[in-house]
Amino acid sequence: MKRLTLVLITLLSACSSAPQRPMPPVIDGSHAGTPGEPASAPVPAAPERVEMPPTVARGGAVVALLDRADDYRRAGDSSNEAATIERALRIEPRNARLWHRLAAVRLAQGQSQQAEQLALKSNSLSGNDTRLQASNWRLVARARWSMDDSAGAREAEQRASQLE
Amino acid sequence: MVRKKRKGKRRKTGRRSRSRSRRSRFPWGKLLFSLVLVVGAYVAFLDFQVYRQFEGSRWSLPARVYARPLELYAGLRLTPEQFAAELKALGYRRVGTARRAGEVSRDGRRFQLISRPFVFWDGPEPSRALRVTFSATHVDALQNDRNGETLALARLDPLAIGSIHTSHQEDRILLRLDEVPDILVQALIAVEDRSFYSHSGVSPRSIARAFWINLRSGRVVQGGSTLTQQLVKNFFLSNQRSLTRKINEAIMALLLERRYSKDDILEAYLNEVYLAQDGRRAIHGFGLGSRFFFQRPPDELSIAQIALLVGMVKGPSWYDPRRHPERALERRNLVLQVMFDQGLITRAQFQKSRNERLGLVQAAAGTSKTFPAFLDLVRRQLRRDYNESDLVSEGLRIFTTLDPQQQWALQKSLDQRIRPLLKQQPELQGAGLVTSSTNGEVLALVGGRQAGFAGFNRALDSKRHVGSLIKPAVYLTALEQAGRYNLATLLDDEPLEFEDAGEVWRPHNYDRKFHGQVMLYQALAHSYNVATARLGLQLGVDRVLQTLRRLAIDEPLNRYPSLFLGATDLSALDVTRMYMNFASGGFHIPLRAIREVLDSDHVPLQRYELSIERVIDPAPAYLLTRALQLVVAEGTARALNRRFAPELGLAGKTGTTNDLRDSWYAGYDGGKLAVIWMGRDDNQPMGLTGASGAMQVWSGLFRATGAVPLQPGKPDKVVWRQVDTASGGLADNGCANTVQLPFIETGTMPAAAPCAKAAPSGWLPKWLQ
Repeated sequence: MKRLTLVLITLLSACSSAPQRPMPPVIDGSHAGTPGEPASAPVPAAPERVEMPPTVARGGAVVALLDRADDYRRAGDSSNEAATIERALRIEPRNARLWHRLAAVRLAQGQSQQAEQLALKSNSLSGNDTRLQASNWRLVARARWSMDDSAGAREAEQRASQLE
Repeated sequence: MVRKKRKGKRRKTGRRSRSRSRRSRFPWGKLLFSLVLVVGAYVAFLDFQVYRQFEGSRWSLPARVYARPLELYAGLRLTPEQFAAELKALGYRRVGTARRAGEVSRDGRRFQLISRPFVFWDGPEPSRALRVTFSATHVDALQNDRNGETLALARLDPLAIGSIHTSHQEDRILLRLDEVPDILVQALIAVEDRSFYSHSGVSPRSIARAFWINLRSGRVVQGGSTLTQQLVKNFFLSNQRSLTRKINEAIMALLLERRYSKDDILEAYLNEVYLAQDGRRAIHGFGLGSRFFFQRPPDELSIAQIALLVGMVKGPSWYDPRRHPERALERRNLVLQVMFDQGLITRAQFQKSRNERLGLVQAAAGTSKTFPAFLDLVRRQLRRDYNESDLVSEGLRIFTTLDPQQQWALQKSLDQRIRPLLKQQPELQGAGLVTSSTNGEVLALVGGRQAGFAGFNRALDSKRHVGSLIKPAVYLTALEQAGRYNLATLLDDEPLEFEDAGEVWRPHNYDRKFHGQVMLYQALAHSYNVATARLGLQLGVDRVLQTLRRLAIDEPLNRYPSLFLGATDLSALDVTRMYMNFASGGFHIPLRAIREVLDSDHVPLQRYELSIERVIDPAPAYLLTRALQLVVAEGTARALNRRFAPELGLAGKTGTTNDLRDSWYAGYDGGKLAVIWMGRDDNQPMGLTGASGAMQVWSGLFRATGAVPLQPGKPDKVVWRQVDTASGGLADNGCANTVQLPFIETGTMPAAAPCAKAAPSGWLPKWLQ
């Protein structure tokens, strides 16, 4: 559903940005014909072929790193576990599960504030994954409990229950 | 320092013993006794010195700084040309078939290479045979080249980008003896000290030969020093030529040989030997020498390269191959001749090596000159957390966030924009930063139009009026009051007069026109000054200042309404901090130039962890990014549509200051944020707008490194509506020109547009909302 909406929106915004209506004069734009400024860098008339996201899945790299992060967790090395998840995030920055995992490590390390923030970030990328959203809110609740924010913790728990 | 003090003491002792022998004349026995005593004590003292120096940490090692390692995996955005460039910078050699570490063969889009082993924070990355296959823009497949198995991930050794040293400091990369190729050791012994394995520190035969030759020519042309003596000379003694020093040298050489094995001495020699000068940095040891001249470790050197390095020991500046290539070539071939005569190499090897070119890399490769502006940022971050003395002596290994691909692309794009203008604008300068909006890592930084020139770091230190770049802070302040403002709220772009502190302020638009009623997003997209000033006055300076503080702008700011139009001084770094909050979807992410610091034994000392903090609610953050996307879609940055597909949804803002003194662009895609500035150091007009200057640099950068779609996750509270562009009302099929805008569900909504038939809930059917 959301994907469909997105596709529609993309299509629509593509339509609406097409030059259907007279453009207002551009200010501080390259069209303004700045005195003493040579014609702006040569640009082709039509948009060049633009690459879209790769078709090859990057999953393998991230899975391999998560395996390694698991090894560190079993060895009780949370610092290297977190660093390995950060490495995975450089490859898949929009992977909400990676952000959740990092939040969990921070919580285990006693960094409650970071845990909360990372869980919120995970939620912002979670799309329709309500189960993940619920576990993020549970994590936020635990983080808030440990920071003695009981009102905030209860609110987070409530949000989690609504999603479950 | 400590060493020098000891030297002074020792010299004093020597003088005292001499003067005493002159003064006392007759009690010969006593004299002899005290002489033996003094000499004995002196030798014991020297012995202690040899011991202390040799046992302790022998050298103070500058911190070594690395770029990010290239992580290879299927799906990585990297062109074959970019990969080739990175391998070249790393000193990988193009060969027909890769057999040794540091070799690569290329067949069109397929690379086969043997990677180098390297120790990272999480342990050693072994050397591997890799097959990397590319599409035009991405890594298609990554395989083990031995058995064709798919590999999930491989990490190359990182590019060394500099070291942190004091002025006139020695720099070296320490090697164990087993890391040095045998042929190098044998060649060194053959050329410098053939009886190394048989003498006990000094070689009377060599001294006699040298003495004879020097006597015949009437000056010192040859030294009879053994390797041990040379080591002692460099290691313990000053550089002056005196008899006392010669005697000390001989005694200490004997002592060293008595205490330590030949291998220990050899290893120390290989690390100690002086090979070149790089500005104020002295290049010592074959480990660094090999990197300095050939950008590769010693075990990857060719015979000819080994011969060159060995030949240079005799006179590093006389035989400097960069300054005196012919002299160096002659010397190298002489060493090759010796190697052949001694049976170290075959005739075929000899002949092939003799015809080889010197094969030097550029002097700047791998030194602090490569990316001085970025290194400057690294140093500033380090100085907050480390003592200068530890940085220059403890051999720390600093792993930074620099992405050479981004750095090269930024340098090239800036250069391409500036170079053609230099005839008319010789003072034109530029600077820029590229950062990851995921984690705040600084990927590239340029501090001036000559990227290799260390000097005024404009990206960090040039504080200039930011013009319209400040406007998103004004609009965000409005959008955060969802009950009052939305993206379609109509603003008045009509003449405005405002009296402030006794002065009348009459803002005008860049095109010197007024545009009547405009939607809030349009005022931002087209950067209308009057509408923005009016909005700012409605909100109040204090509110906007509070927003800017929250967006991590800690600099002193203009406290008057002209702040709304960017009459306040910020650096490109400050602007990056501010826009990072937008690019990350509302999170403040501290910028980082360093990932980890390891000690000389590869043990992590410190990790600069990713940390984030939500500072903008998801909904207004989402609305603001949409507005900044419309800057590109239809506003002042719309020229970007000629080079990028609209589906990428790029977001950004142009900035131009009065009389065209500053040209700014801050823009982001789904992964990166880049901020570019162009202007003159003397703040004189230079004829470029934000769109005609800085934005072109941004465009070149993102074309080269590839833009990824910007698709922020829609917060629950946000709904999309179709809006009539003429009236700013909610539209439906009956409206001709519409724009799709996000709204906060609980906030204020526009009324239905005159063109709309009757659809109060908006254009989208219910099931889609």
